[in-house]
Amino acid sequence: MDVEEMFKLMNKVDRLRIDSIEITAEEIVINIPHISPISIPQTPQIREGIRRISPEDFKIEIPDVDWEPPVEKYKGYIREVQLGRPKSEGGRGKVIKIGGQRALYRFEEVQPNPPVVTFDIFDMPMPGLPKPIREYFQDVMEDPVEWAKKCVKEFNADMVTIHHISTDPKIKDTSPREAARLMEDLLQAVDVPFVIGGSGDPKKDPLVLEACAQVAQGERCLLASANLDLDYKKVADAAMKYDHNVLSWTIMDPNMARDLNRRLISHGLPGDRIVMDPTTCSLGYGIEFSINAMTRLRLAGLKGDELVNMPMSSGTTNAIGAREAWMANPEWGDRRYRLPLWEITTGLTMLLCGVDIFMMLHPLSIAVIKEFGRLLVTKPGEIEVSSDNYQWIRA
Amino acid sequence: MGKKISAMDIYKLLPKINCKKCGESSCMAFATKLQERKASLDQCPILQSPKFEKNRRKLEELLSPPVKEVWFGYRDRKVVLGGEEVMYRYELTFFNPTAIGIDISDTLSEEEIRRRAKFIEDFVFERTGEKLKLDFIALRNASNDPEKFLKALNIIQESTKVPVALCSLNVESIERALDVVKSKPMIYPVTEQNFSEMMKMLISKKKKDKKEFAVVLSSSNIKTLKGMVKASLDHGIEDIILEPHTTPENIMDTLDRFVMIRRSAIERGDKLLGYPILGLPINTYFYVLGGNNPVRQFVKELDKAAAIMEASAACAMLNRYADGIIIHGTEVWELMPILTLRQAIYTDPRKPQTVEPGLYPIGNPDENSPVIMTTNFSLTFYTVTGDFEKDGVTCWLLVMDTEGKAVDVAVAGGQYCGENARKLIEETKIGEKVNHRIIILPGLAAPVRGDIEEKTGWTCVVGTRDSSQVGEFLRKNWNRILEEWRAKEGAGN
Repeated sequence: MDVEEMFKLMNKVDRLRIDSIEITAEEIVINIPHISPISIPQTPQIREGIRRISPEDFKIEIPDVDWEPPVEKYKGYIREVQLGRPKSEGGRGKVIKIGGQRALYRFEEVQPNPPVVTFDIFDMPMPGLPKPIREYFQDVMEDPVEWAKKCVKEFNADMVTIHHISTDPKIKDTSPREAARLMEDLLQAVDVPFVIGGSGDPKKDPLVLEACAQVAQGERCLLASANLDLDYKKVADAAMKYDHNVLSWTIMDPNMARDLNRRLISHGLPGDRIVMDPTTCSLGYGIEFSINAMTRLRLAGLKGDELVNMPMSSGTTNAIGAREAWMANPEWGDRRYRLPLWEITTGLTMLLCGVDIFMMLHPLSIAVIKEFGRLLVTKPGEIEVSSDNYQWIRA
Repeated sequence: MGKKISAMDIYKLLPKINCKKCGESSCMAFATKLQERKASLDQCPILQSPKFEKNRRKLEELLSPPVKEVWFGYRDRKVVLGGEEVMYRYELTFFNPTAIGIDISDTLSEEEIRRRAKFIEDFVFERTGEKLKLDFIALRNASNDPEKFLKALNIIQESTKVPVALCSLNVESIERALDVVKSKPMIYPVTEQNFSEMMKMLISKKKKDKKEFAVVLSSSNIKTLKGMVKASLDHGIEDIILEPHTTPENIMDTLDRFVMIRRSAIERGDKLLGYPILGLPINTYFYVLGGNNPVRQFVKELDKAAAIMEASAACAMLNRYADGIIIHGTEVWELMPILTLRQAIYTDPRKPQTVEPGLYPIGNPDENSPVIMTTNFSLTFYTVTGDFEKDGVTCWLLVMDTEGKAVDVAVAGGQYCGENARKLIEETKIGEKVNHRIIILPGLAAPVRGDIEEKTGWTCVVGTRDSSQVGEFLRKNWNRILEEWRAKEGAGN
């Protein structure tokens, strides 16, 4: 109803009661010349309504305020480590660089290299792997070379980690020489860089790593690992002699990580040949300790501590060991999704703590971590956003 | 880092009479507790007197965290957001765990609304002696019809007592819902587009009708958001939550905004940005459901892919200061990792995650019962004892002091070792309680079996990888293990 109509109506009936009124205008001038004075006191609601529209609260504006993005200055940087050797230098092809950050957050400065994922494979069948993983690799488990090929061809692996698990004296006690032979086959089968892992036996591992390092000379693999329980000097020597990198592994203690790096460096290993692994505890089994250790190490590195400014690695596969991941339990829902999501959650948390290289198992988890990694190295605003933030209300 | 107050700063403003009425031994002890946020000012009766009003005000100001604590819900069932003081949990601790809300659309049938609301109210995932739960219902006005919105709200209020967020772009829907809502709701959203209209309505509701609510200000531009905060405060609206847009195309932009807001508040002392942050993983859910499936190689079903990506976005936000999130998926496998991650991040690092080492009888063990050795990491301990109880296992459980580390970590770190086993056996005198010398080790402790046998002289048997398998393992093997050991001992003698 417009004002004209209202007046007509008033003329007819002499009285008018309005219950709820909404008037939208910048300025209102109302002349009421034709109406008898008696009717005016009988419409108090209208008068009150009019008075309420005073200019100051008619429209609430968003004031202009000062704000600058809180960008920090960092004295230090994270070292860049190269994995693999280019064809131009006589290598097999694929080269991957990790690290190189100059800031903690993407909005401060985008990191130069995306995080990478390396697929875990084993030198013997692993019947103990949970079914949701076995179903992807069942056909190649008997042959680690085929296993590596499948990771690269089918799942687009950046890298492959070979665990020479059978070299464990308590398992098959495979000789370092045999492990090296397998290493040669693997290097020929795929062109991605390798992480070379032992079995976890502190006496045998340095020997296995040395033998494999020799046949992979110049390929800039990552030897996993040097730690305080074994002859880390031997591992460092192998890296220096045959041109590889070393994974420096400690247990969630930043000081221990610093100590091991210091020892490796004073033994002669260049700092930019070291990748740190401060241990990834699975989601639900102490991941908060890993969060603290990784965060502290990364911050210390960026503040200029050159003994801990190495890229970081995460054994994200540990997440698969959590019962919430592998156990078939109908109360916990479908394991086909639950298992990879447990690994994803663990990996993503580590990604946001600054981890640069992930050792993982499930192809789906790997795809998700890589997707987040890809987004992490986009420039802010680079990817156009067309979705409506409020669409979910109406969905 | 922002300003850091000392216990002395606090002490100076306290009555300093050591009356102990707060429960502490002295005013200085109380000051220390206040500084650690382990006590509240209400505990001091003297401070409540008019004489101390000025000091109390000063203390309130001094002790207010750089991120304001905002609550909504019922007085006896609150959702508390914010209250944070640090950027990294190791610096102190994080305080209020991220509140998890699940949406309910007002276009669902009455029965469906009731069922979903009950599900949200009743959902429990129990881990390590703690019941992990969902926190609130995000009622969304999908119909855009105020009538339907009110109806749905009434169904929820009648059948549950879960705190509610009222989510609508229709100002009339919110206005009318505020008249019938029985709790202090979260109101979503005040946007750049509806700012004036929505704020005017809210101001009037607050001033005239004395309605209480927490309001969500929403913009993808932090400067604009800050301006919106200023305008709200100027009009007396102080319970504010910030929602800097969740963009499913690139979640990293969203996470950056979360960090910028939090760092501005904590490290730069920007009071206007010192409010809780709300994230919307639900945007990711619907984005993927709409066909943008980045994992189609592995998961074809769009709703499953949506749930996986939504949970991923949620977990990323938990790692980046989200004080509240709204999600859509309710599959238990989606909620489990989110709830578990929240539990981990908000665990107080100042408290050790350990139980008392020693000997724990499980069931009614006797001299023939097995001896099993685990660690004093509380997660491990509760998992093991929970499983044993469920499966009716009877045994002597030795709990080793591994400095609160899980089995695999303690094996690698050298705490789960022969020397500690020897001490434990001596201290608990377990040898006097059983007539055998066999210890069953967790599967993950296999590498240190030799070391333990050597240092203790006991025979070690490597058991199962998981404590849930122990019951079956013992039923199948314990008698045989015991007989074999006795035969060997007999032969040896």
